[in-house]
Amino acid sequence: MKYKPIKRMTLFMRLNHWVVAICMVAAVITGLYIGHPYYQTFISEPAVSKYVMAWNRWVHFYAAIIFDVSSIVIAYLYFFSRFDRPIKKLIPTAKNLKEFFAVLVNLITLNRVKKFDSSHEDSFHVVYFTIFHLLLAWMLLTGLQLYVHGLESGMSSIGKWWPALLHFATDWTVPVCGGTKMDVRYVHHMTMYYIIVWVMFHIYYVVWRTIFWREGDIAIVFGGYKFKKS
Amino acid sequence: MNRENLRALFTAKSARVDTNKGEKYYQELYKRCRARLDELAKMPAFTKISIKEVLEDEGVSRRDFLKWASAVTAMLMLPSSFTPLVAEAAELMNRVPVIWIELQDCAGNSEALLRSDGPKIDEIILEIISLEFHETLMAAAGHQAEKQLEDAMEHFAGKYLLFVEGSIPVGRGKEWCTIGASGETFEEHLKRIASKAAAIVAVGTCATFGGVPAANPNPTGAVGVMDVINDKPIINIPACPANPANMVGVILHFVLTGQIPELDSLLRPKFAFGYRIHDNCERRAHFDAGEFVEEWGDEGAQNNFCLYKMGCKGPMTFNNCSIVRYNESVNWPIGSGHGCIGCSEPGFWDKYAYERPMADANIKMAPGGGVEKSVDEFGLGLLTAAGVGIAIHAAASAVAGKKEGDDK
Repeated sequence: MKYKPIKRMTLFMRLNHWVVAICMVAAVITGLYIGHPYYQTFISEPAVSKYVMAWNRWVHFYAAIIFDVSSIVIAYLYFFSRFDRPIKKLIPTAKNLKEFFAVLVNLITLNRVKKFDSSHEDSFHVVYFTIFHLLLAWMLLTGLQLYVHGLESGMSSIGKWWPALLHFATDWTVPVCGGTKMDVRYVHHMTMYYIIVWVMFHIYYVVWRTIFWREGDIAIVFGGYKFKKS
Repeated sequence: MNRENLRALFTAKSARVDTNKGEKYYQELYKRCRARLDELAKMPAFTKISIKEVLEDEGVSRRDFLKWASAVTAMLMLPSSFTPLVAEAAELMNRVPVIWIELQDCAGNSEALLRSDGPKIDEIILEIISLEFHETLMAAAGHQAEKQLEDAMEHFAGKYLLFVEGSIPVGRGKEWCTIGASGETFEEHLKRIASKAAAIVAVGTCATFGGVPAANPNPTGAVGVMDVINDKPIINIPACPANPANMVGVILHFVLTGQIPELDSLLRPKFAFGYRIHDNCERRAHFDAGEFVEEWGDEGAQNNFCLYKMGCKGPMTFNNCSIVRYNESVNWPIGSGHGCIGCSEPGFWDKYAYERPMADANIKMAPGGGVEKSVDEFGLGLLTAAGVGIAIHAAASAVAGKKEGDDK
């Protein structure tokens, strides 16, 4: 029996995946601490020599900004990638809708029904990833709104344009979340749980496909290829 | 949502504070203020009390008064060259008539002015303003009081500043709150007096955002002044109680320039509400260090550690109490060991005033109340549901799933 390798992720896509995965774990760990500091610092030394909350926030912000830049690049690649443009699978054409439901049926029927070509990226998977990127964009907007609260002087180390841009781009999240600055915090915290649920299913689904489709799907994110019987 | 609301979303006046508007701007402003004060000085004083005499009687020296004037100049974010103008404006404050009305509230803002251990300069200044009507303070009562209000409204029509303390019930419970012998509702009362005011100053969180009376379930349908009046300039001075220093600041600004100060999107003067409590907090170093009070009276509390884990809302609250404090800078809530409860933010009683960090706050999961869960409880429930769903699918797949190539 021969297997044909099919390229599914470029080197950049794989690197991006793992950078984002690490950032996400870091942002969740530090974000939970910021929302409710769940471990104590040693109080035997003075406040000036330890920065536990400050370091947590530092890691959180760096994870967030790497996340944000990655999201912008991915959004660009949705439309202009030379490898595979996810937008093509996102437009609700008859073909894409048919494929979306075919993949969904495959999942619900425990792989007893499989009426689509699983060698390439399918519509269901693209929609699922688009949900992730929308959640991330929402996290980005609410997070930057919380961040700009500390820049009330209107100045920043990179110039006045940065807080001005943040106010312009994110002030609308306050009324949308419920009218107060606190609501933005609730929503930012709540969205984290939606993202974790997303990741839980994402990991499960990849493992499930690997086991039931027998095409080595889990290898895509490491080597870039999956393998189909020829 | 109409187009106007949509536009407002993206052009919200943020809290961004511009502390230096350039020399040319301040020169223009100085000239305008000078002209305004000269004009005011020619007007007859409405009260016969002169500030110089009152200050002398209270034992405040001229030097103390000028020190106060330079502090207020700084608070109003004006250059130090404006100090003499501010001092002069304080002396001319009896030229601006003020009507003060109380609606649905606890009189806490009036109390904040009156119940200090000894009158401070801010409070003295508020005493010498031409207070034409104030239910709690005036001697007159009943028809006599109403007559006085009518006279003041008639005599100073279009000139007086209207201070409003307390929320306005506009819901089903509004008929429970009436005022005077004619039995007009608070809403009618406010609208009638506001119609002839030069500007309205909403004092305290009840008058600005509805405050405690508007807390869930809001039985009277309480709202703030800006939700009822829309044809007059409104200045909001929230906080529970509002800081007398900020009230004086607003009146002084009006006397000095004839205009209302620069406001943020919640109509709060930026000089007072442009900065976050957290960023000027004396306990901020303990926050950054991760040193938190874990329970009341513990080792951390005795060492003035950060109160974030006891539910301090300084990181989400914009107010100047970490800078000017209360009672002539004697102390403020965080200084005395209790966290900020966000009393100057909208909806503070439901969304800010609990002694837990945000992640542990019980919030209403269904509109109208009922189930209360913290975000973390809800999130863990969500994760559990997802885990159970995945487990069921995995088990079903293991039992009944079909692997590719099995049917060969």
